[in-house]
Amino acid sequence: MSSSALVNSSLRFVLLLLVQVFIFNQVAWGWGGRDLLFIFVYPIFVALLPLRMPRPAVIFLGFLLGLSVDFFSETLGLHAGALTLTAYLRPFVLQLIQPRDGYNIKVSPTINDMSAGWMFRYLGLLLLAHLLMFFLLQTFSIYFFTDIVLKTVLSLPASLVVSFAIILIFNPKA
Amino acid sequence: MGRLLRILLTSSGFFTFAVLQLVCLYLIVHHNDTQRKIWAETKFVYGSYLTKQVSDRLAFLDVARENEILRRENAALLSRIPGSGYNTAVDTSTVVDSVMQQRFTYLASRVVSKSPYGPYNTLVIDRGANLGVERGQGVIADGGLLGIVSEVTPRHARVISLLHLDTRVSAGLDNNAFGTLRWDGHDPQRVTVTDMPDYVPVAPNDTIFTTGYSNVFPTGLPIGTVESSEPLPGTGSQNLTVLLLNDPLLAATGYVVRDLFKEELERLNQVK
Repeated sequence: MSSSALVNSSLRFVLLLLVQVFIFNQVAWGWGGRDLLFIFVYPIFVALLPLRMPRPAVIFLGFLLGLSVDFFSETLGLHAGALTLTAYLRPFVLQLIQPRDGYNIKVSPTINDMSAGWMFRYLGLLLLAHLLMFFLLQTFSIYFFTDIVLKTVLSLPASLVVSFAIILIFNPKA
Repeated sequence: MGRLLRILLTSSGFFTFAVLQLVCLYLIVHHNDTQRKIWAETKFVYGSYLTKQVSDRLAFLDVARENEILRRENAALLSRIPGSGYNTAVDTSTVVDSVMQQRFTYLASRVVSKSPYGPYNTLVIDRGANLGVERGQGVIADGGLLGIVSEVTPRHARVISLLHLDTRVSAGLDNNAFGTLRWDGHDPQRVTVTDMPDYVPVAPNDTIFTTGYSNVFPTGLPIGTVESSEPLPGTGSQNLTVLLLNDPLLAATGYVVRDLFKEELERLNQVK
């Protein structure tokens, strides 16, 4: 991991935490007294971690960020559990959307190194896993399956659009 | 060990994930009210289901002890149904008569057990030493003879049936000629009187009585009727085939005959 990647990742950790907690956690939309639409942007942090990073480290960092978000959201364990799974699934997602000639050794998961379409699919799959896990943990029972699906269907496009927009705007290099 | 380490290293991602996920679940359950309630409910439902399954599977391990308990309970219940009771009501007939002093008493009894039909028939009655039944007393039934008591316990007595190859009863005609009645083991309806002097005139359908020469049966109880007589050449006696009045095999009740003079008579017989 290069030093610039280290710095960038640390900065992203803090900034995404603040943005998620102070902006997007306030944005929840739904009807009938239930919040159905959530916007999660902090999974970007896991998505943008260097590809060569050891898996336990990725998972642990995901756990840490999720726990930090939890501390501010009074939902101890929910975000942490979801992001831990997301971090664990990241290699599988990468394998799923692998380019035909594989990943270059020096490549980073950025638009510059890959492509906008690849990034969109990458974020979409990660967010799908993350949201499903998050809502499963939130309802904490398979009995609320329709609830889980409904929330995921509503939250996934919103979160994906916002996350992709953030990446497009800031366009991180590493 | 090296292989184990390699496995741990190659799947370190999974182990990290699993441990952290468990930590997350712990945190969720212990710091969020809704999830805690759902968890408690789930644990209750599946826990009780699991407990029931396990106890169902393990129930048969206890079956021997359960059987023992049920057997004892069965025994306790069976002992309370009427058929298992021992009838203690005593039914003895005696006659108080200033002229005729009572010599024989009759004790009503019930046949509780019979041996399978064979040459040596025995039966068990429900009266015993507690009520004065003794070895050697006669038992009569249905207007005929049933047998002779051979063994006595406090509540029961075993009776050697008249239809037993070893039974010997003194029997005679009303003209005081007498012989020995025995059973030859062939026909449960017919017995034989032996040692009857051959000069005694016997006609078919003559009645055979007990003689009273022993203290087993009273004098003059009818036993049966003569069916045929057969003189035995050279012995001076004849055999009488006797048709019994009753059917000892079918007897369900009987009267134990008690001779009140028995001891007195035995004392006389002991004098040389």
